[in-house]
Amino acid sequence: MMQEEAYIRERPRKWKDFLAHNLNLDIRKYKRNLKKLNRGGLFLFTFFLILALFPSLFAPYSPTERFIPYEAPSTAHLLGTNDIGNDILSELVYGARISLMVGFASASISTLIGLMIGLFSGYFRGTPDELLMGFTDVVLIIPKIPLIIILGAFLHPSIWILILVLGLLSWESIARVVRSKTLQIRETGYVKSARCMGFSSFHIMVSDIFPNLIHVLLPKFMLATASAMISEASLSFLGLGDISMKSWGIMLSFAFSRGGFIRDMWWWYLPPGICITLCVMFIALMGFGFEGREKENGKRGVDSE
Amino acid sequence: MSEVIKKTLRYAASFFLIVTLNFAFPRLMPGDPVKNLIGEDVYVSETVMEELRAEMGLNMPLYNQFTAYIGDLLRFDLGYSYHLHSPVAEVLRERIGWTILFVGVSVLLGTVLGTLLGAYSGWKPETKANRLVCYGFIALSCTPPYFLALLFLEIFAFKLGLFPFKGFYDIPTPENIMYHMFLPVTVMTLFSASRNFLIMRGSVIQEKGQLYALYARAKGLYDTAILFRHVMKNASLPIITLLALDVGFLFSGALFTEIVFSLNGMGTLIYDAIIGKDYPVLQGSFLVIALAVLLANMLADLLYAVADPRVRRPA
Repeated sequence: MMQEEAYIRERPRKWKDFLAHNLNLDIRKYKRNLKKLNRGGLFLFTFFLILALFPSLFAPYSPTERFIPYEAPSTAHLLGTNDIGNDILSELVYGARISLMVGFASASISTLIGLMIGLFSGYFRGTPDELLMGFTDVVLIIPKIPLIIILGAFLHPSIWILILVLGLLSWESIARVVRSKTLQIRETGYVKSARCMGFSSFHIMVSDIFPNLIHVLLPKFMLATASAMISEASLSFLGLGDISMKSWGIMLSFAFSRGGFIRDMWWWYLPPGICITLCVMFIALMGFGFEGREKENGKRGVDSE
Repeated sequence: MSEVIKKTLRYAASFFLIVTLNFAFPRLMPGDPVKNLIGEDVYVSETVMEELRAEMGLNMPLYNQFTAYIGDLLRFDLGYSYHLHSPVAEVLRERIGWTILFVGVSVLLGTVLGTLLGAYSGWKPETKANRLVCYGFIALSCTPPYFLALLFLEIFAFKLGLFPFKGFYDIPTPENIMYHMFLPVTVMTLFSASRNFLIMRGSVIQEKGQLYALYARAKGLYDTAILFRHVMKNASLPIITLLALDVGFLFSGALFTEIVFSLNGMGTLIYDAIIGKDYPVLQGSFLVIALAVLLANMLADLLYAVADPRVRRPA
């Protein structure tokens, strides 16, 4: 028995194959699927990105041009027109830019804050760590959407305030992940030798620890983007969005409140909703894919030791 | 023991932060605090404004205001809604029962559904059916909750006419309430199940690679026995943590679902308050929801200690 255990510990690869065979789990096939998922997400996401970058190439009209309101889909207007006569397809194409911008901008803010707090508290440990993580836990408990609703109601948000608020309120989980990874990295040989050579803490954090955090940050950034986009859509639905910047969320909210729903105009309320769902899903799939790859790398590291 | 003290301290700090935020918002935001405290669309004359300012103590120093505010809270006085012409605490008391019932039922159902399906799917992640279910749940978790609610309302209530599309009940009998609640509860259940599913799936995939699962297989146990008697117990620990963190999220999801289905709970209250700029109601709702989430987190911590003996024992 002891021998067998030693055998298993010595040859993790073989042990895994044995496990895969006996628990009818084909890990390799699962991995392949994960990779496919990631690639598919990336490909389709690129489509939305192009849409957001060059809307004028795809939109048949300007989003502010007016036609006859409440028109059904036809060859002239593939998705019909809305209550003030804007072409819905054009609106949809131009909305991609705003929705994606809100997502990425607020995710950037929250990733930056999470990175700084996590890095600082993981690197210095001790009292700063206790304080910062305590603060993180405290903030984590406060329900975000109700808080944003209150802020939104008081501030009458422009899109910039919305981005800022969403970014400032969603850094906690990123901070935690970064901290735990930093705790690992600071014990590695290269960080220790850098400290022996007398580099400043700041220099070590920036040039030794940060590059190793990117793999953890990227999936978190993706997921933060996805959840920010959903939050933006939800807030727009409550009428707390920026009406001058028509995102998908605002389109959906208008379709609900200005008669698209009651008149049974599916071509008005379905496309923005589907676009939000698909776009968020592609971003999340990419995030999952990166996360899976990261776990994969971590395991290989342990195996090779 | 020090863990317990630390936890208690953090909850106390969260509580303090929530109350402070609630105190600070109307006083720090742009505009006249009196307007911010009574709601923007209420028209009052200058003299009444000054009277209110004196009455609410807004001309006193901030720390006096804060102690007065805490005193009000201890007496369950959350202010007065000039829109609904009644104290906020009373309005909230009427509404919150429904929302808690709604959220409670759907979270319970969603947890059971998500955990079971997630366990199955994690056990054999490579079969076609399981992959399909997995994509389905990923899609669900990426849909804004209110869009899902809109779709359900459109398909099942408008197009097929199977369910009513408004309110909690016509006549207050249990059957009628269940009939009315079916669609919203389904939406919320799917929503909460999708999150549990993904966590449970990953957790089972991880757990079944452990040696104890291999040992159970070597003993000759069947798949279902290994899954439900050995792997499931360990794999469901992250679910408890998730539930605690998710309560706030699910609560807000419920708000949107309520708005779409015109259920007379907190969601519609908040929606009306936003449209009418009824700040006292908004603030009161935020306070109540935040406290509910805080309590749920404490409950989850206790539950975790019951479920995982390692937490109870000093390390």
